[in-house]
Amino acid sequence: MAGIRFDQVSKRFGGVTAVNALSMEIQAGEFVSILGPSGCGKTTLLRMLAGLERPSAGAISIGGAVVNELAPAERNVAMVFQTYALYPHMTVAGNIEYPLKKRRVPKTERAGRVREAARVLELEALLGRKPRELSGGQQQRVALGRALVRDPAAFLLDEPLSNLDAKLRTHMRAELIRLHRRIGRTMVYVTHDQLEAMTMSQRIAVLNEGALQQFASPQDIYARPRNDFVAGFIGTPSMNFLDGRLEGTGADRVFRSGDWSLPIGALRLADEHPDPDRRVRLGVRPEHVRLDAQGEPARVILVEPTGHETILVFDYSGNEIVARMDGEVSLEPDDSVRLSFRVAKLHLFAADDGRRLNLDDS
Amino acid sequence: MSAPARKSRRYLFNLFAWTVVLVIAFPLLWMLLTSIKPQSELFLIPPALLPGEITFEHYRRLLTETPFLTYLKNSAWLAGGTTLVVIVIATLGAHSLVRFSYPGRERLATLVLFTYLLPSVVLVIPLYLLMAGLGLANTLTSLIIAYTTFALPYALWLLRSFMKAIPEDLESAALVDGASRMQAFVDVILPQAMPGIISTAMFTAILAWNEYLYALVLVNSDAARPLTTGVINMLVTSFNIEWSLLMAASVMMSVPLIVVFAFLQRYLTRGFSAGAIKG
Ligand SMILES: Nc1ncnc2c1ncn2[C@@H]1O[C@H](COP(=O)(O)OP(=O)(O)OP(=O)(O)O)[C@@H](O)[C@H]1O
Ligand SMILES: [Mg+2]
Repeated sequence: MAGIRFDQVSKRFGGVTAVNALSMEIQAGEFVSILGPSGCGKTTLLRMLAGLERPSAGAISIGGAVVNELAPAERNVAMVFQTYALYPHMTVAGNIEYPLKKRRVPKTERAGRVREAARVLELEALLGRKPRELSGGQQQRVALGRALVRDPAAFLLDEPLSNLDAKLRTHMRAELIRLHRRIGRTMVYVTHDQLEAMTMSQRIAVLNEGALQQFASPQDIYARPRNDFVAGFIGTPSMNFLDGRLEGTGADRVFRSGDWSLPIGALRLADEHPDPDRRVRLGVRPEHVRLDAQGEPARVILVEPTGHETILVFDYSGNEIVARMDGEVSLEPDDSVRLSFRVAKLHLFAADDGRRLNLDDS
Repeated sequence: MSAPARKSRRYLFNLFAWTVVLVIAFPLLWMLLTSIKPQSELFLIPPALLPGEITFEHYRRLLTETPFLTYLKNSAWLAGGTTLVVIVIATLGAHSLVRFSYPGRERLATLVLFTYLLPSVVLVIPLYLLMAGLGLANTLTSLIIAYTTFALPYALWLLRSFMKAIPEDLESAALVDGASRMQAFVDVILPQAMPGIISTAMFTAILAWNEYLYALVLVNSDAARPLTTGVINMLVTSFNIEWSLLMAASVMMSVPLIVVFAFLQRYLTRGFSAGAIKG
């Protein structure tokens, strides 16, 4: 078992900076998700960790030792590739067995471990097939099998469940969590899927354009996003943003946007005396918008019932506001309503660098 | 289009195709027939297509009374040796050109192609002097080296396009699974590149088997002469051309090629579309 440490790691491909001065420390045995939009450097980060790509700058340590100079084979990490990368000329069994062969595991032991991995992944019936005779989801499970059959210092998983159907995905998610609990290996899990990241991981690293935005527990990331990128990226539907200015201080503070203003005296800020007329972005999660006879007038634009809840889009003083309400609301497009926000739950970000301005007790 | 019209169209097309085949194959057929005609029938006027009497006398004479078998053996060594040298170097070289990044990699690849564009005649004298200087004049080795100079660039480019079609992640996966660079190459890259390697090997073997110019200039002893120059040398003199023996020799030179083609043609046709399709 081994912790992983990135120390000011950068990777440039010609003019493209794929990873930018990233520092992060993953505890031994921790389950960490890496979340971010397409092209933000997730795969590059894993490839550097596996030894397939050399960092342009910075140091990577596994288990306390700097591994920059170590070949992939010497790092003892297992990786599931986004492209599966199954060996086309080997059978499913051959694919899963390959890493054991290369690590000189005795033949008698190999067979048992391949069978066990195949059982967990429901691949037993397919062991004799070649990869091209498998569906996408089956191929993905073989790729997972090739990693799970090993006993590495850490698992690196690059979107390992993206191609599975909903049922199998839920099943595999549970299997991975169970596996992690049983063997307690460090797992670095790259995903596009927020729900996956939120439910599976102990901590989530949010990446954007190669830079680490926030590395914290799922609850923290959701409730206390460190900047407006994280705030907007995490949560579906995403957070509403209103651009405006801060006026006044303390209990008299108001947020002003055009001729509309909102008293936010209940909101505590880290810096109680910001510049007067400071430009800020107000962030409102859809679940913190509510119907309120005392509130501001708004007009319904769109109603999307999903069953247990309803997603509504409002025109709110010229801004589009998305709200999440329970499935009972009976509103129609063009209905006029009054809305208010739960002020204590609002987020404030600096307009220039997107930094979070709220005071967080922790 | 109505069914009969379509049928007659196909019929016409087949007729056309077979005519073309016949025109191309006719000299080969003539070669075969001439080689089994008695000498007396060769110059009949009007010429007879089919032999009046079938004889294998020319083949017997060729095999027992001439150095034909020595030439055949030399040609086989040349084709085999050149192919082995070229394939080993080209496979490793193509892999390096595709996978590793080092300064000037693309330029190197282009430069290699450039040497291929150089006409052989330009190189033949320098090569002769070089071989003589190395004490390799009149040896099979000198020819293998000479053939490598023009077969290697070509093989390198052909294999490069095959290697490019192999996803990089395959090799990465093998490395992470615990293979060394060389093991990953042998376990994963080689099997994937095998169709390309086989067709490149065939092209190389055919080039070496049919080569004439270098063989003519670099070698002038019967011990190291291949079929191409050997046969001409022994059967074509300024006084006389031994047509029957020449045709028998030509048939026997073609047979190995035809056999190889027949067995490996599915790889060969794949070679023509290298890189176009995956897997
Ligand atoms: N070998 C390479 N050469 C040049 N640029 C590269 C290379 N690999 C990655 N990049 C660039 O680096 C950036 C990050 O790529 P990366 O594959 O790490 O993204 P990602 O977060 O995994 O995206 P996705 O979610 O789509 O898989 C991209 O802009 C990509 O174009
Ligand atoms: Mg990726």
